[in-house]
Amino acid sequence: MANKVIHGIFDDDDVLLKGVKEIRERGISIDEVYTPFPVHGLDHALGLARTRISIAAFFYGIMGTMLASLMMYYMMIADWPQNIGGKPSFSFLQNMPSFVPIMFEVTVLCASHLMAITFLIRCGLFPGAKAQNPDPRTTDDKFLVEINSDGNDEAVRQALMDAGAVEVNEQELA
Amino acid sequence: MHYESPIREPLIVGDKSYGDISREIAAPIEGKANRSWWIVFSISLVAFLWGVGCILYTIGEGIGVWGLNKTVGWAWDITNFVWWVGIGHAGTLISAVLLLFRQKWRMSINRSSEAMTIFAVVQAALFPGIHMGRIWLAYFVFPIPNQFGSLWVNFNSPLLWDVFAISTYFSVSLVFWYIGLIPDFAMIRDRAIRPAAKRIYGILSFGWGGKAKHWQRFEEVSLVLAGLATPLVLSVHTIVSFDFATSVIPGWHTTIFPPYFVAGAIFSGFAMVQTLLIIMRKVLNYEHYITIKHIEYMNIIIMLTGSIVGIAYITELFIAWYSGVEYESYAFLNRATGPYWWAYWSMMTCNVISPQLMWSKKLRTNIVFTFFLSIVVNIGMWFERFVIIVTSLHRDYLPSSWTMFEPTFVDVGIFVGTIGFFFVLFLLYSRTFPVIAQAELKTILKSSGSEHKKLHHHGE
Amino acid sequence: MYTFSKNAKLVTYIMMAIGAIALVYGFATDGHRTWPSLLLNNFFWMAVSLGAIFFLAVQYAAEAGWATGLKRIMQAQGSHVLFGGIIMLIIFIAGAMHWNHIYHWMAEGVMDPESHHYDKIIAGKQAYLNVPFFLIRAIIYIAGWAWAGHMLRKLSLKEDMIGGTEPYFKSRKISAIFLVFFAVTSSMAAWDWIMSIDTHWFSTLFGWYVFISFFVSALSVLALLTVYLKKIGHLEIIRVDHLHDLGKFMFAFSIFWTYLWFSQFMLYWYSNIPEEVVYFQQRITDYKWPFFIMLGINFALPVFLMMTRDAKRAWNTVAIMAVIIVFGHWMDFFVMIMPATVGHHFHIGFVEIGGFIGFGGFFFFNVLRTLAKAPLIPKNHPMLKESEIHHI
Repeated sequence: MANKVIHGIFDDDDVLLKGVKEIRERGISIDEVYTPFPVHGLDHALGLARTRISIAAFFYGIMGTMLASLMMYYMMIADWPQNIGGKPSFSFLQNMPSFVPIMFEVTVLCASHLMAITFLIRCGLFPGAKAQNPDPRTTDDKFLVEINSDGNDEAVRQALMDAGAVEVNEQELA
Repeated sequence: MHYESPIREPLIVGDKSYGDISREIAAPIEGKANRSWWIVFSISLVAFLWGVGCILYTIGEGIGVWGLNKTVGWAWDITNFVWWVGIGHAGTLISAVLLLFRQKWRMSINRSSEAMTIFAVVQAALFPGIHMGRIWLAYFVFPIPNQFGSLWVNFNSPLLWDVFAISTYFSVSLVFWYIGLIPDFAMIRDRAIRPAAKRIYGILSFGWGGKAKHWQRFEEVSLVLAGLATPLVLSVHTIVSFDFATSVIPGWHTTIFPPYFVAGAIFSGFAMVQTLLIIMRKVLNYEHYITIKHIEYMNIIIMLTGSIVGIAYITELFIAWYSGVEYESYAFLNRATGPYWWAYWSMMTCNVISPQLMWSKKLRTNIVFTFFLSIVVNIGMWFERFVIIVTSLHRDYLPSSWTMFEPTFVDVGIFVGTIGFFFVLFLLYSRTFPVIAQAELKTILKSSGSEHKKLHHHGE
Repeated sequence: MYTFSKNAKLVTYIMMAIGAIALVYGFATDGHRTWPSLLLNNFFWMAVSLGAIFFLAVQYAAEAGWATGLKRIMQAQGSHVLFGGIIMLIIFIAGAMHWNHIYHWMAEGVMDPESHHYDKIIAGKQAYLNVPFFLIRAIIYIAGWAWAGHMLRKLSLKEDMIGGTEPYFKSRKISAIFLVFFAVTSSMAAWDWIMSIDTHWFSTLFGWYVFISFFVSALSVLALLTVYLKKIGHLEIIRVDHLHDLGKFMFAFSIFWTYLWFSQFMLYWYSNIPEEVVYFQQRITDYKWPFFIMLGINFALPVFLMMTRDAKRAWNTVAIMAVIIVFGHWMDFFVMIMPATVGHHFHIGFVEIGGFIGFGGFFFFNVLRTLAKAPLIPKNHPMLKESEIHHI
């Protein structure tokens, strides 16, 4: 079994971007790319689908608005209406200008926190998680392309070298 | 595509490589603190401890130990609260608003100003807390029924809006800051040699590895957080201004308060960023990353927001007369010519006149002058809040209750204590955190000023 | 190079003709209703022009590169401000001659303690609200705005000829000066021309509120013109990325408008002081539908329809939203101007809508005529390439 991956290490983001396109043109599928910073256009080059996390954030936000509205409706209008400074306590709509600030705040609160949590879960990030990058240099100044060779090691190595990799390594998978 | 107009000056000077950036950003964390750090830290710590003493004294004895009286029921406490919240606005402005406007110069300064924001909001939140007197009952600000049944908190009160606004702002700023920190912590982790450091930064970095998909999500999350934080940052100081503007006190009840408070907050926040970063870039040798150009841009924002604040002052003054409401007119006359005239004119000089000096390119690119002016603005913005709060309260509708306010040593002590606390936090941060968002900065290393440099070399 | 085609000309002529008929019809039947409509429509399109000069100046002051390819459109939009300004002056002079009664403080006897029309509060404002000072101020505002618009265009045309960075940096200086001037005069013009219609009423935020309303309209018209020029085959370097940014501005400033609207409304609603809240009282009771509909159009529609990336990158969607937003803000100004002039006898009929179309025709006539005089893309602008490769 060819249970090993080949790592091509690049030292420039422009070379990497070009290289990724070339490797993919040869019909070799790239499993992962590790970069020290977001390389503009890399997701396109890799053919990654657009992330839907902002759509999730929108729904989290709507949820927050509803939560705040329900809370204030229940506490101020339904459960114990009080006459405070002559504000209309009998109707949610007429008292609404007072409720808008908190509706907004809770919207933002829910949208940002739940989105951040979604992000962490989807990326498998949590305190104490094992470092995901196979080579510590990829958080510094190196860019790493990871390819599962499926037996044709030589072709992959050659593709990486042609693409401009400065170093090619192999790693056995446990 | 890496291209920039040749008239844009570089934001990172010197020929840096990606590796240089990692090394230089990690240096303060890996190295040891020098003597001056310890000296400043000790002074801050002493001030902080004094503040803690004054706070404990206040809680033990009651609010009576402050200089408040029946007429002036709000003074230094709220002044300090608004001042600190205001300072806490620049960080999110830099990281969110400037991100939306694609201002690349924010990348060298956003991390530290976000840190400043968080530390400033901590100071701000202290004041309403201790002003409650019985701080152990503070949980009653949350929407829970009282002990006799279901009497709820009052959602018609701007003070309650503040509870929601400040806590949302604090927690969202923290999340925004931390998400940005994750890749930088990973960089520190991967460089760390000492096992303890490796372990700590390993935990802090959440296992980040920089996968392409993760970066894609990371960028989207940053953008959406910026989109959420931008109205949030406006809403926070707007709601702070509602504390005053919803009332019927002359000088407080004016509709320009919301945007004008926001502009003032940005103004003071940038001044504090200047104060901190001018020292930091020197001490940590970051002159190549936080360049004169960064300082100049911040000065322009200070000038802009200072002018907006100035226009708001004049608008208030004019409309007070134009409205024909005597109470309103008197409130402003009293500010300018009454017993607190010195506070009013300090505010006017520091906030309206002094930022106009920044029109001169020579002055706004002068570091010593910038540092001096940033202190002036900080003082001016403190006076602004003092003027708004105390001069409006001390002479209201009932002349028989007119009086003056005098702070006690406890008022002063708590204020100085928060300054100490703020610096303690910032100094600790500057030795343990990557103070520049290095991953983001690497994205502009190649493009920033490339055409400008080419042109410059050809010229030689 | 854009040419002002016969068909396009014809359309603007027809629009102007509709406006002229509306005016003649209005004055023949009900002058009291027609004058405020004239003020509203002329002010609105003049302000759309002014907003574009402001945006243009901001491009220079903020060293923005992406919109370089759109600067000619902003300049053309700004060319209308002088024409609109002159008509404003005519309306004011007519008011001073008592041909119209838009400004109550101009009425006879209001400031005279002997007269039975005497109004103490208005008389207290005499130092500011008096005809000579009012006219002098108006002339200063209009002259300043028109000068800045003219200078920025002139320098940009000069840049096409001589190149270099000198015109750019000079434009930057003029922009900075204009922005200071604008910051003061836009608020003052709003107090003078609109707030003083409700002569007793006052609000410190009013100037900024008026500004943001016409600024959103100006951005929307800019987007509309961009889409139009692109569709007829011009603006080669302008791509969907630029549209996306324009869409973001429309979206963001619609929210900002709502923020200022809410700040002003909520504070007066909350404090409930009679002399302040009467303004909204009248609008909610007599102008219920225009008031709430314009709120829906100006806030809810942009927020929900323009939130996604795809919406902001669709030419047709942005154009349709631009039309809706322009109409919404026209209604906003309608609600500001009408209650104190025609009271509860208001109409949104042929006179008002016809006037809107007529002055719109006049505006587009001026804009397109100016556009046809120079290439649509500035030639030697130092940031041109940034705009060309702009990509988001």
